Amino acid sequence: MGDRSAIAASVRAPGAFFAVLARNWSFFFLLLSVVVFSFTGRNFFALNNFQSIIHLATTSLLLASAETFVIISGGIDMSVGFILGLSAVSSAGTMQILYAAGWSPLTSVLLGIAVAMATSLALGLTAGMLVARFRVPPFIATLGTQGIAIGIAYHICGGFPVGFIPPGLTEIGNSYLLYLHPPTGAWSFFARPGSIAPTQIREMVRIFPVSFFFIIVALLALWHLLKNTRFGQHTYAIGGSMDAAVRAGINTRRHLVLVYVLSAGLAGLAGVVDLFQAGTGNYTTFGAQLELFAIAAVIIGGASLSGGKGRIAASAVGVIILKVLENGLNLSGVDPFYRYIAVGLILIVAIVVDQLFPDLF
Amino acid sequence: MTRRTGLASFFGQRWAFVFLLIELVLFSFLGGGFFSLNGFQIILFYSTTLALLATAQTFVIVSGGPGIDLSVGFVMGFATVVSAKLAAGFDRMGLAPEFSLLLAILITLAMGLLPGFVNGMLVARLKVPPFLATFAVQGITYGTALLLSSGSAAINVPNLANVIGNGYFMYRVQGRGFSFFTRPDVPRGTNVFEIVPTMVVVTVLVVAVAAFVLKRTRFGRHTYAIGGNIDAALRAGINVKRHLVIVYIISSFLATLSGIIYMLEYVTGKADAGSAFMLDAVVAWSSAGRACSAAWAACGERSSASSSCRSWKWA
Repeated sequence: MGDRSAIAASVRAPGAFFAVLARNWSFFFLLLSVVVFSFTGRNFFALNNFQSIIHLATTSLLLASAETFVIISGGIDMSVGFILGLSAVSSAGTMQILYAAGWSPLTSVLLGIAVAMATSLALGLTAGMLVARFRVPPFIATLGTQGIAIGIAYHICGGFPVGFIPPGLTEIGNSYLLYLHPPTGAWSFFARPGSIAPTQIREMVRIFPVSFFFIIVALLALWHLLKNTRFGQHTYAIGGSMDAAVRAGINTRRHLVLVYVLSAGLAGLAGVVDLFQAGTGNYTTFGAQLELFAIAAVIIGGASLSGGKGRIAASAVGVIILKVLENGLNLSGVDPFYRYIAVGLILIVAIVVDQLFPDLF
Repeated sequence: MTRRTGLASFFGQRWAFVFLLIELVLFSFLGGGFFSLNGFQIILFYSTTLALLATAQTFVIVSGGPGIDLSVGFVMGFATVVSAKLAAGFDRMGLAPEFSLLLAILITLAMGLLPGFVNGMLVARLKVPPFLATFAVQGITYGTALLLSSGSAAINVPNLANVIGNGYFMYRVQGRGFSFFTRPDVPRGTNVFEIVPTMVVVTVLVVAVAAFVLKRTRFGRHTYAIGGNIDAALRAGINVKRHLVIVYIISSFLATLSGIIYMLEYVTGKADAGSAFMLDAVVAWSSAGRACSAAWAACGERSSASSSCRSWKWA
C-alpha cells in the first residue's frame, strides 16, 4: 500500500512504461482480450453482448467482493459458493410456502429474502467465531460451514430447483432501464412498451440492465467501505500483520468475525440476486467451484493470499476477465472445454507476473 | 494450559480412530445390513479412490503451512480418461487385453508425473502460493481431460478391467477350499464367499508404503522438517526446492494411481470423476494427520455416508 511515488521513481528510468503495465496488467489484459475477441468472436462486439456479460457476472462480482475482504484480512472463504446456493434455495422455499399459503406476493418475497439473509449471516457468524475465537484455520472453518450449507440446501430442495415462487421476480431481475423500438420510435422504462407486438421483440433495443445498476451501487459501497472507512483500514492492517494490528489496539477478534459475516452476507445477497435472475432457487453443484473462481478472480486482480493486499475494483476486473474469456471463447466457436485450460494458463501468467514485480501491485 | 491426563491425550491424538469406532458401533445398530462382511467390504471398496487421494494430499499438507494440492481430484479424473482412452485404443489396435491395459496404465502413470512437476516447479521455484498453482493446474488437467473425452465418459475399455477391478482377493467355496484372484468355476447358484476386493488390497499396500515413506525414511523426515519450519530445514542443509518438487510429484502420482483404480473399478474414464473428492481429501486429512490415519478417516467418511443411505432405505 501507499508510497507509490517512491516505487515509481525507483523504476522510472527505462521501465516506467513496463511498471505501469505490470501494475495494471489485468486491466490491459482485459482490453487486449476484448480487442482480440472483437475480431474472432461472432457478435462479440455488440451492446447486447456486453450487457449480457455484465448481467451474468452480477453474482460472481458479489462473491469476488466477499472473497476480497476475507483474503485481504489474511484468510480464505471456501463457503461462499454454497452459501449462494443455500440462500437461493431457502429464499425460494420460503416464498413458495408462504405464497401457497395465501400470503401476498410482496410479503412472501420480503420474508423469503429475510430468511435467506438470516441463514447466510448465521453461517458467516459460525465461520467467524471458529476462526477468531477458536483459532481454526480459515480454510477448514469455512469448509465446515460449506458442508453445513450443502446439507441444508439439499435437505430443502431434495436435489431439484425450487419453483412455484411468486411471479414477476424474473421481470424485476432481468429488466432493463430503457426499452427502445427504433422502427416505430416507441420507448419505455423498465418494461416492454405495450404497443410492441411479440413479433417485433427482436427489433427492440434494450439498454442498461437493472442488475448493472444494482452491481455498480453495491461495488461503490463496498469500495468505499474498504478504502475510506476504519473498517476497511483495519482489514488491511490485520492482513498485513496480525501482531501489529493487535498492538495497535484493534479488536482483531471482533473484526475477523465481522469480515466473515460480511462475506457470507454478500454470498447470501448473491443467492437472492440469482433467484431474481433465474426465477427458480438453484442449489450449487459440486462442479461449479464458484468459490474457487471467485478466489481466482481476486488473485488475478493482484491480491495476495498472505493478506494485506487487494482492491475491490481490481477484483471486479478479475471477474470480468474470466467472464469475457468464457463469453469470447464461446462466441469464437472454441470448445468450452478450452476455457478451463485458458483460465489455468492465465492464472499462471498472473501469478508469475506478480512474483516478478512484487512491489508494483 | 492444564496438563492432560494420559487417557485424554491418548484419545486426543487418535480421535479420528475413536470417532470411526463410535461410527461403526452406532451404524451397526442404526443401519440395516451394515454390520456384515459384505457391508464392510463394500465400504472399503468405495473408499479406495478417496483413500489414495487423501494419501496424496497428506504429503503436500505435511510439507508446509500453506501447502495444499487442489488439483488431485482432477488429476485423478485426467488419469481415468487417459488410461481408459489408451486401453480402448490399444484394444482396437488388436493388442491382447492384458497388454493394452498394462501399457495404458504404465503410460498414464508416467503422464501423471507431469502435473505434479508443474505444481512443484511453480511452488518451489517461482514461489507461487500452492493454492493458486494447483488451482491453475487443476483447470488445465480438467480442460484437457474434457477435450480428450469430448465431455462424456470414455468407454470401450477391455472387459479385463472389470474382472481385475471388481474381482476379489480370495474366493471360498464350501468343500473346495480357497482360490486366489480368479472366481472358481462352479455352477450358478453355488455359494461363493468373496473375501476382500483386490483393489482394497492394492490400496492398503500403497497406503502402507506411503506411510512407511512418511514415517520411517529420510525423505519423510525431511518432509515433516520442511512443514515444521522451512527456514530451519534450509539451515539444516535440506534441498528444500528439490524436495518440494518431489512432494508434489508424489501427490500427483498417487492421484493418478487413484484414477487408474477408478478406471478399473468402473471401467470408464470420466473427467469429473474426482471433482466431489477434491475437498473430501482435505477433510479426510484434516481429521487425522498421518498417511495411514487419513485413509482410515476416508473409510469412516464413506461408512457414514453409505450407511446413512442404507438406514434411510431401511426406515
